[in-house]
Amino acid sequence: MENPGNSLEWMLFLTEKYLKMFLQGTWLTLYIAVIGTVLGFILGYIIGIIQDMKINSGDFFPKRILVSFLKLVATAYVEIFRDTPMIVQAMIIYYGIRQAGVELTPVVAGILVTVLNTGAYMAETVRGGIGSIDLGQREGAWAMGMSPMQTMFYVVLPQAFQNIIPEMANTFLTNLKMTSVLNVIAVQELFMAAKTVGGNYYKYFESYLVIAVIYFVLCFLFNKLFGFMEEKMKGKTDYALAVEYMDNQ
Amino acid sequence: MGETIISIKDLRKSFGTHEVLKKIDIDINKGEIICIVGSSGSGKSTLLRCINKLEKQTSGKVLYHGKEVRDIQKDINEFRSKVGMVFQSFNLYNNMTVLQNCMLCPRKVLKVSKEEAFDRAITHLKEVGMAPYINAKPSQLSGGQKQRVAIARSLCMNPEVLLFDEPTSALDPEMVGEVLGVMKKLATTGLTMIIVTHEMAFARDVSTRTIFMDQGYVAEDAAPIKLFTDPQNPRTREFLSRYLAG
Repeated sequence: MENPGNSLEWMLFLTEKYLKMFLQGTWLTLYIAVIGTVLGFILGYIIGIIQDMKINSGDFFPKRILVSFLKLVATAYVEIFRDTPMIVQAMIIYYGIRQAGVELTPVVAGILVTVLNTGAYMAETVRGGIGSIDLGQREGAWAMGMSPMQTMFYVVLPQAFQNIIPEMANTFLTNLKMTSVLNVIAVQELFMAAKTVGGNYYKYFESYLVIAVIYFVLCFLFNKLFGFMEEKMKGKTDYALAVEYMDNQ
Repeated sequence: MGETIISIKDLRKSFGTHEVLKKIDIDINKGEIICIVGSSGSGKSTLLRCINKLEKQTSGKVLYHGKEVRDIQKDINEFRSKVGMVFQSFNLYNNMTVLQNCMLCPRKVLKVSKEEAFDRAITHLKEVGMAPYINAKPSQLSGGQKQRVAIARSLCMNPEVLLFDEPTSALDPEMVGEVLGVMKKLATTGLTMIIVTHEMAFARDVSTRTIFMDQGYVAEDAAPIKLFTDPQNPRTREFLSRYLAG
């Protein structure tokens, strides 16, 4: 397109001219959001489980110390990351690690920030999910001799997971959008692309509108996908009688 | 009388300042069917929950074959794998089918083979008449069916003692019979059972020993024929007259 006139024409012009940059930005946004969210979920589950650990008065002394310590670290971590803005965390982690003499690419730092931030929020979600499961489920497993960890993995977490799927989907969508703050540590994601493109022609409004559309489409599609997956995971509502065992009824 | 399996020694339990169990001493011998009766709030369920450590006692001990069950996860888990529990609210694992419910603990706690766990599950589900429902989820079963599965699930661990915490209190009247029927059948197999219940007729007919609890004490501990026809403690008399009148 030559000589764009109105804003719509400018948007098309910029998209065409800087297609590669927008695509790269989109890719990097997705890349950081997906990896950051998945690793963040794992971290969140670990922290959530640690926070739910119990100590018996007769437990071996080093075990009691270790568990208390882990719980303290977990609680401190969750508090610190939930009570500070992600944009500030990004700056501190990126510059802090560089100052410590470790070379870190912006992308790796960006993923790290996303993971740590997601982990803190997920830990609370997981804790809530665990808490939402009736205590009877746990007692039913404990009373059969299952250890607290076995109970957690076979009985509690599968049910908690089911309950927090919507919250997990929500967290991913939040992350998809929150990657935009990573432009402050020079990650070449979508926001950075729009900033650069906009600056070239002094057309910020149109440039940001382009990425707004991209963010919207991405989130909209993922939202639909998660809704579909949630439906699928509900599973069967009927069951087949095992006729081979009917004889002795 | 068979050998003593579980000894409860000077067990006390307080919730805050409220003492719910006051100096409980009971020996549970092999093959006994013990029914614990008493009004609500007398400490029956708490006693049962203290036995398998779902509640931590304030003081006193639980001995298993003469050895103290300490407040250490390993001791507790080992003890619980030998002493099953059936709950008022069933507590079947909602994320699993009937078959998975029965196979999980033998596999993970006793480490038996898959085939062995399957055989145990089918055997005990047949005993309670629930084998055709192996593919059902707990939410698809009636209360009575759930409780029968819960009993089968406990039996799959080959327990030495089975504790029942008001197993029929959450059931519709017509379902009470099917669960009590299963328990009566179990009582004939020689399994040691401790049953907290409000079913007086069942306690009278099935138990080999009935314990009446009142305000945190064991008020009376006698053979059912004695306790139901010639109670020694005035509190027992009062309790029974209320039940028999109603």
